[in-house]
Amino acid sequence: MTTVNAWFKAQQWRPQPFQKECWEAYTAGQNGMLHAPTGSGKTYALWGGIILEALNNKEKPKGLQALWITPLRALAVEIQQATQRMNNDLSPKLKVALRTGDTSQSERAKQKRTPTFGLVTTPESLHVLLSAKDHQKQFEHLKVIVVDEWHELLGTKRGVQIELALAYIRSFLPHLKVWGISATLGNKDLAREILLGSSKNYVTINAKIQKKIKVKSILPQTMERFPWRGHLGLHLLPQVLKIVEKNRSTLIFTNTRAQCEIWFHRLLEANPALAGNMAMHHGSIDKKIRLWVEEALREEQLKVVVCTSSLDLGVDFSPVECCIQIGSPKGVGRFIQRAGRSGHRPKAGSTIHFLPTHAMELIESVALQRGIEQEQIEDRIPYLNTYDVLLQFLMTLAIGSGFVPATLFSIVRSSFCFQTLTPEKWQWLINFLVKGSQSLEHYDEYKKVSVLEDGTHKVLHKGIAMRHRLSMGTIVSDAQLKVRYQRGGYLGNIEEWFISKLKPGEVFTFSGKNLELLRIHNMDVIVRKSKAKKAKIPAWMGGRMSFSAHLSDLLKSALFDQRNYQTKEFIALQPVFSQQQKESIIPQSHQFLIERFKTREGYHTVFYPFEGYAIHEAMASLLAYRISLLSPISFSMSFNDYGFELLSDQAFEQEAFIDNDLLSATHLMADLEKSINISEMARRRFRDIAVISGLVFQGFPNQPIKTKHLQSGAQLFYDVFKAYETDNLLYQQALEETFDHGMERGRMTQVFEKIGQQEIVWRECLHPTPFSFPLITDRLRSKLSSERVEDRIKKMFLQLEKAVS
Amino acid sequence: MKTLTILKQHFILHPSGAIFWRETKTWLFADIHLGKVAHFRKHGIAVPRKAEGDFYQKSTKLFALYQPERVLFLGDLFHSFKNNEWHLFEAWVKQQNAKMVLIEGNHDIIPAEKFTSLGIDVRKEMTEKGFLFSHFPKEKTTGHFVFCGHLHPGVILRGIGKQVLKLPCFFQSPSQLILPAFGVFTGLHILNPTKKNTVYVCTEKEVMEIRQTI
Repeated sequence: MTTVNAWFKAQQWRPQPFQKECWEAYTAGQNGMLHAPTGSGKTYALWGGIILEALNNKEKPKGLQALWITPLRALAVEIQQATQRMNNDLSPKLKVALRTGDTSQSERAKQKRTPTFGLVTTPESLHVLLSAKDHQKQFEHLKVIVVDEWHELLGTKRGVQIELALAYIRSFLPHLKVWGISATLGNKDLAREILLGSSKNYVTINAKIQKKIKVKSILPQTMERFPWRGHLGLHLLPQVLKIVEKNRSTLIFTNTRAQCEIWFHRLLEANPALAGNMAMHHGSIDKKIRLWVEEALREEQLKVVVCTSSLDLGVDFSPVECCIQIGSPKGVGRFIQRAGRSGHRPKAGSTIHFLPTHAMELIESVALQRGIEQEQIEDRIPYLNTYDVLLQFLMTLAIGSGFVPATLFSIVRSSFCFQTLTPEKWQWLINFLVKGSQSLEHYDEYKKVSVLEDGTHKVLHKGIAMRHRLSMGTIVSDAQLKVRYQRGGYLGNIEEWFISKLKPGEVFTFSGKNLELLRIHNMDVIVRKSKAKKAKIPAWMGGRMSFSAHLSDLLKSALFDQRNYQTKEFIALQPVFSQQQKESIIPQSHQFLIERFKTREGYHTVFYPFEGYAIHEAMASLLAYRISLLSPISFSMSFNDYGFELLSDQAFEQEAFIDNDLLSATHLMADLEKSINISEMARRRFRDIAVISGLVFQGFPNQPIKTKHLQSGAQLFYDVFKAYETDNLLYQQALEETFDHGMERGRMTQVFEKIGQQEIVWRECLHPTPFSFPLITDRLRSKLSSERVEDRIKKMFLQLEKAVS
Repeated sequence: MKTLTILKQHFILHPSGAIFWRETKTWLFADIHLGKVAHFRKHGIAVPRKAEGDFYQKSTKLFALYQPERVLFLGDLFHSFKNNEWHLFEAWVKQQNAKMVLIEGNHDIIPAEKFTSLGIDVRKEMTEKGFLFSHFPKEKTTGHFVFCGHLHPGVILRGIGKQVLKLPCFFQSPSQLILPAFGVFTGLHILNPTKKNTVYVCTEKEVMEIRQTI
C-alpha cells in the first residue's frame, strides 16, 4: 500500500478514502463495484490495487494479467496512458497495451506473440479475442477484468456482450476477479449482480464526492415568440453567446450530430471572432481531430466546444468552467453526467445551463432541478434473452476453438440475460446455426456451423468465418463512407444514405466546414472546401431517446405542484399556458386530458399521460388497435414524452370511445401484443436484430469483400419471417423488444390502473393547442389500420416528382 | 385484374405481378429470382425454406386461370449460380406443355445451354407484333412498345391523415410497361412517377390504377 501511497505523494495528490478502500479490497482478493463519477480518480483506485498485487507477487508476472474494458475507444486511449504512467514509475517493465478496432494488424500480432501485463479494450474487441483458437491459453494468467463505465453498457446489447464474455471466461478461470466501475444508478444492486454474478465475495464502494450542481434555465427576454415546437433552440443564440463570452471555456451538449453541426455553424456566423477558439466533437468526426479537440480542451486552448454524447464520458477536462445542455437530456443521470464535465477541480461546483428548445421543455427544466435536488437517479433496464447477441457469440466461438452445446448451455444460463433460457430455445438456436431450420429437410445446402465427430460445433467454411469476423459487434450503423479532400486529408465518416441523396457539385456541412461533393470513389467521398453560404446538413439517424420513467414522474410532479408556478420557468411559460387554457385545460393530477380538433390533415386526437416516449408509443398503438376494432379505420400515430396523437381521416366518436371503455386495464397485455403485430412497430427493432444475428451483412468501408448476390435488407427478412416462419426466435425477439424494452412490462399495467382512477377530460378544440403542437408536427410516425388495403388505396394518390422538388 | 389494350392487343395485369397476353396466350413473368433463398442458405443465412416453393404454387394457380401456350421470362429468372433450386425448376419445366422463352437478365449467370437443354429458348431480346420484350427498361424509344422488368418497381401512396402505403406496381410510360418482380424475397425499388406515367398498384387481390395529384 505504501508504494502506491508514496506514488500519490510524488504526484502531489492525496489518496481519497474510496481509493484506499479499493486498494485494500482488491489486494484482499475481493470482487467489487465502485460507484464514482467520472474524473474522480477512479482509474487509479482500481489500478493501484492491480499493480500492488503484481508488486507483491515474488514471481515475475507473465502473460496477460489485467483486462480493462471501456465503452469508448477514446476512453481506452485515456486509460491506457493513465495506467502506463503509474506503471512507468512503479514497475516500468509492466506494459499496458491498447486493443480496439483502431489497432493495426501488426500490433495485434505483436500482442499475441508477447502479451503485455495489461490490456485496455472494448466489448467488441474482447469478443474478437475470444474468436481466436487459442484464447484459453492467451487468458491463462488473467487475474482481473475491470469493466469501466458499466452504467453506460448496462441496458444495452453491448452490456449483454460483456455478460456473455464474463460468464464464458469464468468457466475456465474460476478464480478470476471482476470489478465494475459505474456512475450512480437507481438500481445499483441489480447492476452489481449482473456483473459480478452469484459470488458472495464482493464489496460495494461509494466515492462520496458531493458535487454541487447548479442548473440554470436559459430564458429569452420575452416569451411572446417562444416556439411551441422544435429541437434546435436557435432563438436563444444571443443568450448562449453571452454565456460563452463570460466563461473561460464552455462545453455545449447537443443530442444529435445534426444539432451539433448546426449550432457550431450558427455560433461562428454570429461571432466570427470565435474562429480558432472553437471546435466540434461528435462520433463521425475523424479520430485524430477528436483527439486534438480533447487535448486542446485540456490545455485551455479552446473557448467553446460543441459536442454530442461523444464527450459524455471519461476524459477529464478540468479547465471547462461551464456546460450548456441544448434540449432535453432525457434523464437525470445523463444530465448529472454532463453537468459533471465542468468544474473538475476539487470542490469546484458544476454549473449547467439548460436551454429549452420549445415551451414544454421549460417544465422539464424544473423537473430536472427537482431530480438533482432529491438525488433521484434512474434505473438502467437490462436486456433479457437477446437471441441475436447470443447467436453472434456462438458464431464467435465457432469460428475459433468451437464449442460443445451441452457444456456451453449451463455457462450461458449463468449470465443474467439468459438465466431463463430453456433447453428447447437453446436447441432452436443450435439448429438455426447448424441446419438453418428446425426440421430435417432434404436437398438443403445450408452451411454455417458444422458438427465434428467429437460433438464440437465449428465453422469450417472460410468465407462464413470471414463474414462473421467483419460483422462482429452490436453497434448497428448504416454503411459509412470516408470523407476526404481531393488532395488527401481525412475528415471523418458519413452515412451512405445521406451522401446518396447529393449530386456532385452540391454543398454540405460536415465537421464544421462547408464542403462541395466532387465524386464518390469506392468507399470514399471526395470533397473540396466551398465558399457557398448555403449547405445541406446531414441529419444523422437515431437519436430518439425516451424519458426515463423517473424523469416522467418528476415531470408530472413539476407540472402538478402549484408551488412550482413561482419559478421563473413557469412564469416564463405564462403566455403559453394561457393559450392552452383558452383552448383546453392544463391537466391536474386527477385528470386525464384528451383533445380533439380538426385540421386540413384530418382528425387529431391527442392524449396526455405524461409517461415518457416508450410508454406512449405502446399506448398509442394499443388504443389505435382497440378503436380500430369498432369499425374500419386507419391511424397515423406520433408520440413524445408528454403524450401521443392518433390522426385519422375520419373521426371516431367520443361516446363510442368512452362507452366501450377503451382505456380499460383488462386484456391489456393480450391487446398490446396484437396491436404490435398489426402496427408492425417491431419492424424497426428487427433491423438491429438482423444485423447483430448475422442475417444482414453490411460489409465494411475499405474492405469491400466479395458478397455477390448476398445483399439483402432487414425489411425483406422481416417480411419472409412474418409470412413463413412466425415462430422464428429472432422475429419473436423483435416483438418482445418492442413491448418490453425501455418500458418495463409492469409499468404499463400501473399506468392503466391509474388512468382508471382519473377523470377523463375530453375537449373539443377549435385550434391545435400549445401542448399538442410538438406532436402534430412530428413527422416520424407509426401506422395501424383495420381497413381493407383496397379501400385505403381508393382514398390515396400518387405524389408526382414535380411536387416533391 | 385489369386489362390494357395496347396496339390492339390485350394484356391482363394480374395482382401477382404477372401479365397474360390474351391473343398469343402468353404469360409474362419478370424477376422471379429462383434459388435466391437457397443461395442465401448455402452461405449460412437462414432464410425460411418455405419461401422457396412460392413460384411453383403461384404459377400453378395462374396457369389454371389461363392456360398458356407460351411462358415468357423477362430476365432474372435465377438469382445466382446453380443450386438445388435447379432440380425443382427442371421438374417443373418437364410438367409444362407451354413453350418457354427466357430473356436474359443481369442475374442470369447460369450458362444458356443449361436452359436450352430443358427446351427453353434463350434470347437477349425479342420482338413480336410491334412489341419489344427486354429485361432492361429502354431509355430511348425503339419504335416498339417495350415490356420489361429489372427494376422491381414500387410506389409510395399518400392520403389524408398522413396515410402512407408502399406497394409494388406496374409502371407504364407512353411506350413502355415495367412489370413488378414476381419472386418473393426480392424487394421494391421506389419510383417517382411523372405526369407521363400511369401506375397500377398490386394488392393481394386487385390491380388498381392510381389517381395522381400535382
